Amino acid sequence: MQDLSPATLLVLVPLLPLLGAILTVLLGRALGPRAHLPAMAGIAAAAAVAIALLAATARDVSPSHGPRSEPIRPVEMIATLWNWASFDSAYAPPPGSPAADLRLTPHDPAAGRDVRSFSIPVSLRLDPLTATMLTIITCVGLLVAIYSTGYMHGDPGYPRFFALVAMFVFSMSMLVAASNFLLVYVFWEAVGACSYLLIGFWFTKPEAARAAKKAFLVNRVGDFGLAIAVFLLWMSYGTLDFHDTISPQGVIMPGILGQTRLADASGYAGGVVGTAICLLLLLAACGKSAQLPLHVWLPDAMEGPTPASALIHAATMVTAGIYLIARSAPLFAVCPGALTVVSIVGATTALVAALIGTVQNDLKRVLAYSTISQLGYMFASLGTGTLLGFTAAIFHLLTHACFKALLFLGAGSVMHSMGGVIDMRKFGGLRRVMPITAATFLVGAAALAGVAPFAGFFSKDEILAALHAKGWPSAHEPHHAAAVEPHSAIVRLASFAADSRAVAPVGLDALDRPEVWRLLFWMSLVTAGLTAFYTFRAVFMTFTGPTRVPPGAHGHGGHGHESYESPPSMTLPLVILAIASAVVGWLLFSTNWLAHFLSATPSLTAPLVASTAAPHAFHIDLAIQGTLAAALGIVVAAIGHLGRRSDGPQMERFLGPLQTLFANKFYFDQIYAALVVRPLEALSLVAALVDRHLIDGAVDAVAGIPVALGEVVRRGQSGLLQRYALAGVMGVLTIVVLLAWQLRG
Amino acid sequence: MNAMQSLPMLQNALTVGALLFSLGLVGILTRRNLIVMFLAAEMMLQGISVSLVAWSRHHGDWGGHVLVIFVLTVAACEAAVALVFVLQAFSRTGRLDAAAWQSLREATVGRTVDRELPAIDAVPPRFPTLTRAGVLPPPDENEPLQREHV
Repeated sequence: MQDLSPATLLVLVPLLPLLGAILTVLLGRALGPRAHLPAMAGIAAAAAVAIALLAATARDVSPSHGPRSEPIRPVEMIATLWNWASFDSAYAPPPGSPAADLRLTPHDPAAGRDVRSFSIPVSLRLDPLTATMLTIITCVGLLVAIYSTGYMHGDPGYPRFFALVAMFVFSMSMLVAASNFLLVYVFWEAVGACSYLLIGFWFTKPEAARAAKKAFLVNRVGDFGLAIAVFLLWMSYGTLDFHDTISPQGVIMPGILGQTRLADASGYAGGVVGTAICLLLLLAACGKSAQLPLHVWLPDAMEGPTPASALIHAATMVTAGIYLIARSAPLFAVCPGALTVVSIVGATTALVAALIGTVQNDLKRVLAYSTISQLGYMFASLGTGTLLGFTAAIFHLLTHACFKALLFLGAGSVMHSMGGVIDMRKFGGLRRVMPITAATFLVGAAALAGVAPFAGFFSKDEILAALHAKGWPSAHEPHHAAAVEPHSAIVRLASFAADSRAVAPVGLDALDRPEVWRLLFWMSLVTAGLTAFYTFRAVFMTFTGPTRVPPGAHGHGGHGHESYESPPSMTLPLVILAIASAVVGWLLFSTNWLAHFLSATPSLTAPLVASTAAPHAFHIDLAIQGTLAAALGIVVAAIGHLGRRSDGPQMERFLGPLQTLFANKFYFDQIYAALVVRPLEALSLVAALVDRHLIDGAVDAVAGIPVALGEVVRRGQSGLLQRYALAGVMGVLTIVVLLAWQLRG
Repeated sequence: MNAMQSLPMLQNALTVGALLFSLGLVGILTRRNLIVMFLAAEMMLQGISVSLVAWSRHHGDWGGHVLVIFVLTVAACEAAVALVFVLQAFSRTGRLDAAAWQSLREATVGRTVDRELPAIDAVPPRFPTLTRAGVLPPPDENEPLQREHV
């Protein structure tokens, strides 16, 4: 294995699950109960390769990261497979756009003007952000695949499930490894398609089919935003590559996130166009990561199999939006208004989703709204625009992948044992009959609620610190002043700020005020409390109280008493994820390894981002605030639900009319139905009528002419021999008369 | 043939031939009895034969005469075949009416039915009957029972 270059290894990570998916499609029926083998082997091999790549990238990152060190050197490796599309002299960028920046690209003297060629190379990149995402995707994918061998056992669509999971791992790996915006778009769509297929896995169930359709259509709104953003990016930058390329003429073409352009921050489009690009990327991210107002698909997506929910709608696909914005950090850094909008969207979504989650009775729905809420946290952190914010978001992404996948798989374990029942009011006190599931679920819930020292505590603390730093900038000066030293990047930053061309103020920039950030901070704190509340409400309702089991549950009589515990294929991933949730947060935070590792990503070495160095201090005041909020939530949940029957009266009595508002999900579905769905249905009805009557009517009328003519001629066929003979004779007579007339005259 | 016949002779002969042909044609188109239709067809052939002979005599060429012999031969063979058809047709329907065969018409066209003749009285009128009067004369032994000639 030593002679395999990193480029080959990088290509193997998406390729092996793809081969697994293809083999599963071809051999699935033949393999029968062993149909999971090709897909699982592909994903396992990809996971091993991804970890190897992570280690290799970590070795490349410069070790020093202290206050008086040099700026972090970006680490990236590009592997170009082939050139998908290439047109020479395709585009002459308008003067004034970053694409026409003569400092970056000397124009082609032979042509006499500045022309660019359009080329889309299929290239993959390896940098710290990609390595982290690949590891998360493949490892969680592997655990979900192992779990699914138990969960989907006996399902008639067993091979199809594994083919789809492998296909998804391939698509998502390519998405995070692609080094070109167009490729990102392609695989953005691909993961959306895999999500549709997995949500609608049991498509004969009408709710599942409807949920899959809803998910895909809502995602399309976001995809539209991404498409327009790609067009604007092409027009602004003249290329869609992330990395710098060298054209056949030997000219350096700086990529959008290439090191040539990153070094000089004025190479980015600001103003209206830049803000438009950023807001469109945000729209795409909202669609994929289920943020307001495109969050409506995620709760309905729980109709799919629980392992699919764990993989796609908790750990990986919904994080594609986070990845996109983190990757586009330099683009956002020159549009502070867009960054603030990102944070506002994230924090609002977090709060709204948390409120809705407090009244859900379906365990999977609680976790779905929890996912939306936690993703909102990540967006709020991304929107701060600081290095701390970006690394905190990715850190939270990692920890969230661990504990949310754990919680979903635990819910699946409960659902599997309870015979498909997931309504928490129908069962209770399961910790006595499902000990492993209960213990791991408790670890995951503690991590989600932000209880120290589990994973969620550290990542949430970092997010709150990032928001706090924007809301109270003076309080963080002592930390940052020591960390940030006046190196050349800052000098360039100052000159960049003075360069009026790059920073054209947009109305949205007025949002970037400390008051707004303080409001977002308080919203996030309240959300932390609500998170702890609804999480532990779910835990107490499910696992504490009198032991009640619904009539369809299948138990495995063993261990001397009735046990509903799931088979080892399902409990093993739970245990692994529980261990990860418990230690990974503390490990990564105490060594500050992840922040340091991620800061070597080219996108995050841009001076505007890197200048806000991540402080290493542990904000004890924020930690106390966060823990207090969590503790308050847990205590309130305990008062209402600990030890009680889950179908008894609950805390919702105290909510009054708010209960209806939350239970109806803030009426988003109804509003969309009235604003979007009904008008479209009316329009399609009109279109159907026009098509059926006008267009088909016209075609049928044209087709009716020969029929009418035939009806006239038809009446002559009487069957009488002598009439036919008479017709022939009349014809001969006509010819004879005509001939005689011709000959005469 | 040694001498060309004169033109009026030709015209007269062709007229006869044309008349025979036309009458035969009209007969085929008009008459419904299958045998009479065939008769008319034969008459058409005879009209053609007369025309052929007339042209042949006019041009002084034996070709027309020879062709007429062929035509007569072929007409005889064709008569055999045609009468077989007529016999088959009669044995299927019991009628010699050409209008009895209408099955190959279009589905939307109705069967062509003859105009209805006035109905014959179902019950023949009762004529008065006279009572028998007188007695039968005794049979005469000398009167023969059969006539010798027809």
